[in-house]
Amino acid sequence: MLEIEGLAAQAGGFRLQGITLQIGEGECHAVLGPSGSGKSTLLNAVLGTLPVSSGTLRLAGEDLTRLPVERRRLGYVPQHLGLFPHLMVLDNLIYSARARRVPAADYQPLLDRLVEITGIGALLSRRIATLSGGERQRVALVRALVANPRLVLLDEPFTALNESLRRELWWLVKDLQRERGLTVMLVTHDLTEAYVLADHITVLIEGRQEQTGDKREVFNRPASLAVARFLGLKNLFPATVVGTAEGRIEAHCPELGLNVGLVGTATVGEAIMIGLRPESVALRDAAHLPRPGECLLRGTVRLVDLGSEVSIHLHPETGGPVVEAVASWRVVERFGLHDGQAGVSMALPKERMFWVRTQ
Amino acid sequence: MKLLPHAGGVRASVAAALAVLAIYAGLIVSLLWFFDTGILRETLFSERTLFSVRLSLMAATLATLLALFLAIPAAYALSRYRFWGKEAADTVLEFPIIVSPAALGAIILIFFNNPLGEWIQENVIYFVFGFAGIVLAQFVTVLGIAVRMLKAAFDAVPLELETVARTLGASPRYSFFTVTLPLARNGLIAAFILAWAKALGEFGATLMVAGSMAMRTETLPIAIYMRLSNADIERTVALIVVLVSIGLTALFTARHILGGGRRA
Repeated sequence: MLEIEGLAAQAGGFRLQGITLQIGEGECHAVLGPSGSGKSTLLNAVLGTLPVSSGTLRLAGEDLTRLPVERRRLGYVPQHLGLFPHLMVLDNLIYSARARRVPAADYQPLLDRLVEITGIGALLSRRIATLSGGERQRVALVRALVANPRLVLLDEPFTALNESLRRELWWLVKDLQRERGLTVMLVTHDLTEAYVLADHITVLIEGRQEQTGDKREVFNRPASLAVARFLGLKNLFPATVVGTAEGRIEAHCPELGLNVGLVGTATVGEAIMIGLRPESVALRDAAHLPRPGECLLRGTVRLVDLGSEVSIHLHPETGGPVVEAVASWRVVERFGLHDGQAGVSMALPKERMFWVRTQ
Repeated sequence: MKLLPHAGGVRASVAAALAVLAIYAGLIVSLLWFFDTGILRETLFSERTLFSVRLSLMAATLATLLALFLAIPAAYALSRYRFWGKEAADTVLEFPIIVSPAALGAIILIFFNNPLGEWIQENVIYFVFGFAGIVLAQFVTVLGIAVRMLKAAFDAVPLELETVARTLGASPRYSFFTVTLPLARNGLIAAFILAWAKALGEFGATLMVAGSMAMRTETLPIAIYMRLSNADIERTVALIVVLVSIGLTALFTARHILGGGRRA
């Protein structure tokens, strides 16, 4: 549906370069990155408010690079929603129909259906200023969708909402996406939002495309140290490549005292980092014996209450690096853990480990 | 941490604000010394005064409309686009404020004495010592203020709204007329009223370009000047009352509209 190849764009002194990604029809693709990573620059290039310096930008086979914004047929929900405060809700919703001179008979069935799904029927004659945050989000979504866009661009539209409302709207977007077969490009810095809504993820860092792929792949196997750090991965341990064979490497991590085989190519002697998501680290009984394929560590734990779950920091007896695990309170209670407890065992499964280059 | 101002400081500050009011109100009230209702009535309804009022209202309205016609697109460009000469164009808006109106009028008059100015006078429209000259002098005086006020009004309309309108299929023109202009409405009205009030009271530039000819180029401020030159203080006061009434009505209307806009 959307094909971006070798795209470069300049916004003031900031340059975005070498962006290549595809968004398939009916797919949600999240563009993730910290502030200043180039998310907005990429979004503006797709929107058409920023000229493309080089590369191609095609939507359903049509070259967008020279097409004015109003002819790209995009749905756009910006961070502050961009609702027109001088118009009633209904006038906001049918703005696109009026601008394009679409007769009511052509847009009314879709408008009725969207109003029904989002439950905003009672708001149509209200002023924008009288709507709550959640109501505004719904109106902005419906307004973007009633124009029947080929691609919907969501620019961090849920950041100003409280957690429960955000989750409610995520499901609404997912429902709308499923029913309408929407193709969505979501720009966000929120990892959870990206994970819940997107099928694929692109991570931008300092104007570069660091990684693009299936969301599980990106979250479980970050392609670089920058991505791993952006994703908040804390279990990163220095290692050295000690062997290579047919698309696999053998790495030695002195801090954990383990050798592990991993997918990928590197040169022998190269310094890398081995990583493991905290969710992949498992608590074990004190009597548990190491199994093949896992690295067993024993030490003292510190518990950090995260509300619904617990972050468990293991300080190994051998003096190695702190290993972080995440578990539910139920699991913590089952193991009878308490803060500062010594002699706790944790298993680091090798098949869940990933590696990244240090440079 | 912000400390509450000392009570003495509050009193001094309020006293300064009331002093400002007292200065202007005192000057207006002092007119009563020479105020004569009989002369006021006679002056107000004299053919000469009615001519001045008509001329002033027509010239100020035309000059303001012409200024807004140019100021709206200019202010929009200064608010939204980056272009060569933008900084210079933005700075020159203060030109009519820093240059005295008399000097501004003299510049216009001198312009019409150079070959291009003479050609315009002979082939396009004759400005000097005529109605067109009054309109031109007022137009030049209020243009900068109109652009400055409208630019502030456009700056206050988020660019994001125009982008959203464009994604919804609106052309730049449609988006301007359905989103930007309605949202800048209060600024537009304020710019019109204040520019109009300034044009109405304009004296120096008008005197230079159009001269002071009774029943010809005699706007209200010129009429005041002419009556005062003849030491006819009672009739001068009567004309001042007319001018001040029109000006204050315009100012209070602007405040009412803008205040109403803020409450909405």
